[in-house]
Amino acid sequence: MSKVYIKSAGLIPVGEHWNKSLTDLMVEASLNALKGQDGVKIDRIVVGNMMSGYLNNQEHLGALLASALGMKGIEALKVEAACGSGGMAVHEGYISVKSGDYENVLVVGVEKMKDADTQVLTKALAMAESADFTQVVGASFISLNALLMRMYMNKYNVQEEFLDYFPVIAHKNAVTAAHSQFKKAFTLEDVKRSPYLAEPIRLLSSAPSSDGAAALLLSSKPSDVEILASEVSTNELMISQRENPLKFEATEKAFKKAVEKAEINPSSVDFLEIHDAFPIVAALSLEAMGYSAEGRAGFDAANGKYNLDGDLPILTFGGLKARGHPVGGTGVYQIVEAYMQLTGTAGKNQVQGAKLGVTQNVGGVDTTSVVHILRKVS
Amino acid sequence: MLYSMRLNSAILGYGAYVPKYRISTEEIARMWAGEGSGPNRMKAVASYDEDALTMAYEAASIAMKMANYPEIQAILVGSESKPYAVKPMGSILSDIFGFNKILGVDLEFACKGGTEAVQMISGMITSGVIKYGLAIGSDTAQGRPADDLEYTAASGAGAVVLGQPNGKEIARITHSVTYVTDTPDFWRRPKEHYPMHLGRFTGEPAYFTHIMSSVKLLFEETGFKPSDFNYAIFHQPNPRFPVEVGKRLGFKEEQLKPGLLNDELGNSYSANTLVALSAVLDVSKIGDRILLASFGSGAGSDSFVIEVTSKADDDDYIPLRERLKNYVEIDYATYSKWRNKIIR
Amino acid sequence: MIPIAYWRNRKLYTRLIGSRCKRCGAEYYPPVKVCKKCGSVDLEEKEMPKTGTIISYTKLTEPPVDFKDYSPIYLAMIRLDNGVTVLGQIADAESEEIRIGMRVMATIRKWTEDGQNGIIYYGYKFKII
Ligand SMILES: [Zn+2]
Repeated sequence: MSKVYIKSAGLIPVGEHWNKSLTDLMVEASLNALKGQDGVKIDRIVVGNMMSGYLNNQEHLGALLASALGMKGIEALKVEAACGSGGMAVHEGYISVKSGDYENVLVVGVEKMKDADTQVLTKALAMAESADFTQVVGASFISLNALLMRMYMNKYNVQEEFLDYFPVIAHKNAVTAAHSQFKKAFTLEDVKRSPYLAEPIRLLSSAPSSDGAAALLLSSKPSDVEILASEVSTNELMISQRENPLKFEATEKAFKKAVEKAEINPSSVDFLEIHDAFPIVAALSLEAMGYSAEGRAGFDAANGKYNLDGDLPILTFGGLKARGHPVGGTGVYQIVEAYMQLTGTAGKNQVQGAKLGVTQNVGGVDTTSVVHILRKVS
Repeated sequence: MLYSMRLNSAILGYGAYVPKYRISTEEIARMWAGEGSGPNRMKAVASYDEDALTMAYEAASIAMKMANYPEIQAILVGSESKPYAVKPMGSILSDIFGFNKILGVDLEFACKGGTEAVQMISGMITSGVIKYGLAIGSDTAQGRPADDLEYTAASGAGAVVLGQPNGKEIARITHSVTYVTDTPDFWRRPKEHYPMHLGRFTGEPAYFTHIMSSVKLLFEETGFKPSDFNYAIFHQPNPRFPVEVGKRLGFKEEQLKPGLLNDELGNSYSANTLVALSAVLDVSKIGDRILLASFGSGAGSDSFVIEVTSKADDDDYIPLRERLKNYVEIDYATYSKWRNKIIR
Repeated sequence: MIPIAYWRNRKLYTRLIGSRCKRCGAEYYPPVKVCKKCGSVDLEEKEMPKTGTIISYTKLTEPPVDFKDYSPIYLAMIRLDNGVTVLGQIADAESEEIRIGMRVMATIRKWTEDGQNGIIYYGYKFKII
């Protein structure tokens, strides 16, 4: 079994790319990742994407990208796991390198969302849960998270504002992140003044829709950053079918497996890139990984624990909320960002002395969870 | 030859459903006249997610529960606002209630589709063709904005579960007659959203002539006279007509009053007299006799003799007028949005 | 919505037909083919109770495109009286102050429709009682 390293990484700024197609996004991110890698022979391309068929009338992204990169002949495929598609693509790349059958694998995560009408996008995102039993009753993806948030607030007697510290942290970090979608800090008051989209989730507490793509070149040849573990777990598809909807079992299991494989102590982690699509997802993720006690994540956020200069920085470039959330791209962005932290190239967002990082990317409401643990090679 | 049915069918359960929302006729008048009101105070308005089918289901659910869910063999639904022009509500309801080897079909005759359902099922029961049937009248009636009809055209549903008398029935339907002519007082052509009408022509030659002819025929056939009835229910297109026709036929106001609902609910078309029947059965006593006469534009009237035989046996049942206390008034904008009056 | 998919599930949607494990008695809505509790594949149809309690709720101001004519919609998680949790809309919610713990009863309303000339999709919603 080979070890898996990140040889290089590339991304494009997240935002509204009116002049760029789905293919343009993928190609640009790939070329950025492949800069200076001229002699490298790529053995496989894995594309992470959720909605290209529905939003862009385009499937077959593996062959599409290979062809666009002038690499016809190469093995290539698309991987889909809703909002966890990017993380799942990295996982797929990881296991192909680890198997020893592939030396160099290009992983690209992409989503082209801004061509679509908001309500069409809302329908597309709802496809993460059951067509026959969730979508039919009119549920949107955000509304499922809103149901959990209300349940959480009720169970732990937590005020909405404590959870809304997560978007505040995200936006603060995004101000100095070159590739972030929103370089604007928000106060808790700003969040509270924004309208509800699905009570108690507000406009400023939910991740935006974005265009974006990020890419990684994984290799069995040693380089600066090693992927110590890449683990995936799933939960019941529908939140209504879960015994305890406030327990992110997929994240808990994937994280536990990853920690065991990587043989690390969770308390030695220097930073976390979590899936903060909504404040409730950030909170339940941190609680599932054991970094906050149940019902306490919001208070920990309010107390500065998760700030860039806190005990455990999260969302170091703004996370889904402020860096942006190009759905199938997000999981790859997280790992590119972790790579930047571990190679000391994070600029003003640098977590000082970062040696060990964790990323957590989920599809659905913790329905699929992908956890990666990355280490700086000394 | 005369169409006169000596019937022996039993009402085993009854139910009326009126949607939660009302619009005042003052609010409608504010839009189109600037001031004033309609002949009635309010009318019932179905919510955006309700139609004749959902209301039929609601009314039928109440009636089916009261009747303790018998094995229904026919579901007849009277309506002039079917959700589909082609595709019956009767079959949708058959599936919902879980009976498929049955007759499930819709009827239309302006405001008298509901009583036709009662009459036909009663005939099937009396003849022994079926044992149990469900008769429903349900409408989300539409009046063209600014038209006089807009004040009264309302939503609602009424249902009765009918069966062969078993000694425990709530009431017996003993006789029914119908009177019809070709009278163009009110109509709607295919694919038109709103009906047309001939104003005051809907009164004397239509409403009064047909109801009086039908009821007089019923009197002749049965030998009954107004004083033989404890209650009389006449179709209620507005608050005034049923009282006037009752008076002309020789009924007193106290015989009419328990069934009068137009002032607060408007005219729910095919549901109209069946909703009123629920209100009357809620207060009637064993041994009471009820006259019911519907009116359908076009035009015709079905009339019935109904005899109360026992009280409903359903602990959860809430009388209609009790339920009507819980309503919410909406404005014209909400009404327009919900009832599909905004062009987009 | 997909008309034929709707047709396939119509009784589930209007009558809340779920399933019950013949081995361990666990009940499910939507119905399952494999019991999640004991793994048995021996399950039977079971109609769910029509009453339950609100365990969470939200108001959607931007529902998915198929539901935009009905916006805003009120969505809730309901614990039915047999313990099964279902997702559904609250009917006639405009005038209500919804709270966790409220008792509800299933009825049938329009979920959505394919425009003026398409299929109308009827299904369960919950009324506050
Ligand atoms: Zn079992």
